Amino acid sequence: MRIFNRIVVVLLLVGLAVLGVYTVVYSFEAFGHQLSDLSTTLQGFTSGFEGFVGDVENGNLPILTIALLVAIALLGLVLLIMELKPPRPRRVRMQRGTYIVPDVVRGEVESAAEETPNVLGSTTKVWAKRRPGALVNLQADVRRGEDANALKSELRERVQQHLAKTGVPLGRLKLKLVEADPRETKARVQ
Amino acid sequence: MADGILDLARAVSAAALATDGVYSLGIGRYAEAATYEGGEKVSGVVVKPDEVEVHIVASYPLAKPIPELAQLIRDRVAAEAGERRTSVVVEDIEVASEDL
Repeated sequence: MRIFNRIVVVLLLVGLAVLGVYTVVYSFEAFGHQLSDLSTTLQGFTSGFEGFVGDVENGNLPILTIALLVAIALLGLVLLIMELKPPRPRRVRMQRGTYIVPDVVRGEVESAAEETPNVLGSTTKVWAKRRPGALVNLQADVRRGEDANALKSELRERVQQHLAKTGVPLGRLKLKLVEADPRETKARVQ
Repeated sequence: MADGILDLARAVSAAALATDGVYSLGIGRYAEAATYEGGEKVSGVVVKPDEVEVHIVASYPLAKPIPELAQLIRDRVAAEAGERRTSVVVEDIEVASEDL
């Protein structure tokens, strides 16, 4: 949401800057613009808006406009819910009063993954859940032609067992196998 | 039980470090984890009005699962912390020097 908020603020400031430029141009009657012209421009805008509101009141809106308004309302609702949701915690909660930083979980997942036969390297991303547990995305590098399904299930089992032994509750484990050139991976042989 | 918060932090720090499986105290990952008073500080322990936060680096290999280690620390620290609840934050896992 930080990025969205930033975009909104940038758009708002751009709008204010444009309005400021218009005000200066019309106030000093620069480039042949007269302040009296502004009221005509504004009248055009307000009459258009009044017409739109009138159509809304009378129920004369085209179907495309209705769809657009519904989409805007839904988008607003989704953004409101996202804004109201509490932020994701920075530390992974294990149980009441015990936390672990995601980097440690990442290290444990990678060590379990890289001990698995035929895994040449791995990249892991870990996030804390709002409830106890960690969300783990694991991408493992394997040679071309490996049995992906068997490798995936073995990898999943090893990571789950290792984290259970460590005591880190696992919320979700997403696995992705990537065929990689062994010359570019952490280990060439496993 | 310790009097000032710095004494409390020192006592908690000593109790945590004496726990088997604790390699050292952490310094905080996102903000410094320390207790300050009178120009002095104790790193690795944050004393709050109703909570004591102990930041640790666990020894590798882990002798026991982290929740059990955390419970051991809580038991040791309980006498010093008094009414405050104890939270344990594992910041890292280090290979103990004798295992290198």
